Amino acid sequence: MHNKTKTLILPACVLLVMAMLVTTSAQAGEKIVYRLKWLRNVSVVGALYAETHQLFEKAGLDVEVKAGGPERDAIRELELGYADFGEASADQVLRASAKGSPVVVIAQVFQVNPLQWMYRPEEMQIKNLADLQGKVIGVTFGGNDETIMNTMLAEAGLGSSDVSLFSVRYDYTPFYRRKVQLWPVYRNAQGPIIEAQLGKAGEKTAFFNPAEFGVKFVANCVVTESRTLTEKPYLVKRFLAALFAGWQQSLDPKNQEEAIKTLQKYDPDTPRPILEEQLKITRELIQPNTAHAIGTIDEKGWEQTERIMRAQKQLPMEVELKVILKPVDGVAEQGNPLL
Amino acid sequence: MLPRRVFQFFIIYFLFLGGLMALKYSLALSDYVIPAPSGMLHTLIAEYRGYSLATLNTMTVAVIGQILSVFMAFVIGITGRQSTWLGSFIKVAAYNFQAYPIVALAPILFILLGDGFMTRLLIAAMICYFPVLLSVLGIMSKPVDDIEHFYRVTGRMRWQLEVKIRTFENLTQLTTVIAGSATLAMAGTIVGEFIAANAGIGYSIRIALYQSDLGKILIALFLIGITIAIYQALLESLGAAIKRAWTGR
Repeated sequence: MHNKTKTLILPACVLLVMAMLVTTSAQAGEKIVYRLKWLRNVSVVGALYAETHQLFEKAGLDVEVKAGGPERDAIRELELGYADFGEASADQVLRASAKGSPVVVIAQVFQVNPLQWMYRPEEMQIKNLADLQGKVIGVTFGGNDETIMNTMLAEAGLGSSDVSLFSVRYDYTPFYRRKVQLWPVYRNAQGPIIEAQLGKAGEKTAFFNPAEFGVKFVANCVVTESRTLTEKPYLVKRFLAALFAGWQQSLDPKNQEEAIKTLQKYDPDTPRPILEEQLKITRELIQPNTAHAIGTIDEKGWEQTERIMRAQKQLPMEVELKVILKPVDGVAEQGNPLL
Repeated sequence: MLPRRVFQFFIIYFLFLGGLMALKYSLALSDYVIPAPSGMLHTLIAEYRGYSLATLNTMTVAVIGQILSVFMAFVIGITGRQSTWLGSFIKVAAYNFQAYPIVALAPILFILLGDGFMTRLLIAAMICYFPVLLSVLGIMSKPVDDIEHFYRVTGRMRWQLEVKIRTFENLTQLTTVIAGSATLAMAGTIVGEFIAANAGIGYSIRIALYQSDLGKILIALFLIGITIAIYQALLESLGAAIKRAWTGR
């Protein structure tokens, strides 16, 4: 009996020590998952830069940056525990919040929405929204570009019979063939590529930016669960500080070479001049002026986004913005105090 | 057959919903991740008409696509049953084409043919065509020696008779393959619509995905499931009726 107890105690002790080791190591380097909104491209260069330049590690964090995509939803992953932080567009956040999701916005990545419409200036001049009348306009039905375009048409007093809406896919052929006059693109990512292609054929292009006509619709933001913010404020602060450091450094013209190298790692096929142009435009969308700290939450923009979505019947009720907008003090303004 | 199929579908669907609800309430998930039953009912009332019409639209394309593919599969299968050079060539070509994922070709078809009816029809027909063709080739290439021997030795065997004997002897298998291909045709149409079309329930699902609305997707799945269950039951009944007419039993 005595020997039997001895033989049981030893493995039990080993197991206990192993369990303690595992628990301790998990606490020391707690794995954090950051789910991006889209694939690894210029729109997430800040996160890629922070990852490749070990800025998260320097802040004492073990962060796994995961690519997003059309089938990924960071907010759902937060709630299911598959991610700790994520990137989501304002319309996603508002829809989720209206359905009781505990999501909170801790920073806003884009100060200007990169979703704009491309057109040929020889075909039209858009000086005011009424100039859209009679045009064939590409929209992704169900996407936020449809919501934005419907808002602009409503602002211009145009009905569905005054324009022709064309269902947009990943293929740009209808725009190249001039079947569609205005085509929605991400100004910083797709814009320079299509612009260069059309430029080779001697065609000029221009971009129609809804924000210039008073329609502000907030784009990508950094989100987390409200519980993470209340229970681990220090972790949130460190994560954001490292992420913002990534954005600051990647967009700094002094670090352009490093930022291009980072992008080329994930996007080796895009020619360097286009990557440079993408980076330049991204800089203007993330930080339109130096008075704006990177990551600042544009509350007025959020209010308008919420109003637009309710007017377009995309939201069943008013969403309390104070509950979801939770800027983290001292991070956006000061940059990264830890690095 | 029809009530049984529908009943079986209801069991599967509501078990699936029950599983989702168990997950939702045990993990305290919000309605954004998994909608509440009341939310789903609300979505059903709001979207029932539009989604039913979209499902019927998809079903129409799928049925036409399936008829085309079954017809083509029989023509090619009957030609390819022979042990001639042409027959062997058709078999090799069929097996090789089967290896290509039609879904990967779908975007190219949409670019070349546009996002209208024809492209959806072509994708539906292509997705259900090859499995049917392989089955038809298998059935038609396999002699029914017990019966065929008599006609061969008496010199009365013609290709029409050969096809008739092999079809008759494998009628149950053919009916099962054709009924099964209905699901493939429907899935093919939905995939096509999801990728690039501008109509049908696949297109509605894509829009619902953009809006992160799982409630709409669950309603769409219900309508797709019940439509396929009814259609398959009808095909099976048709197969049974043909068999009765041929055998006189």
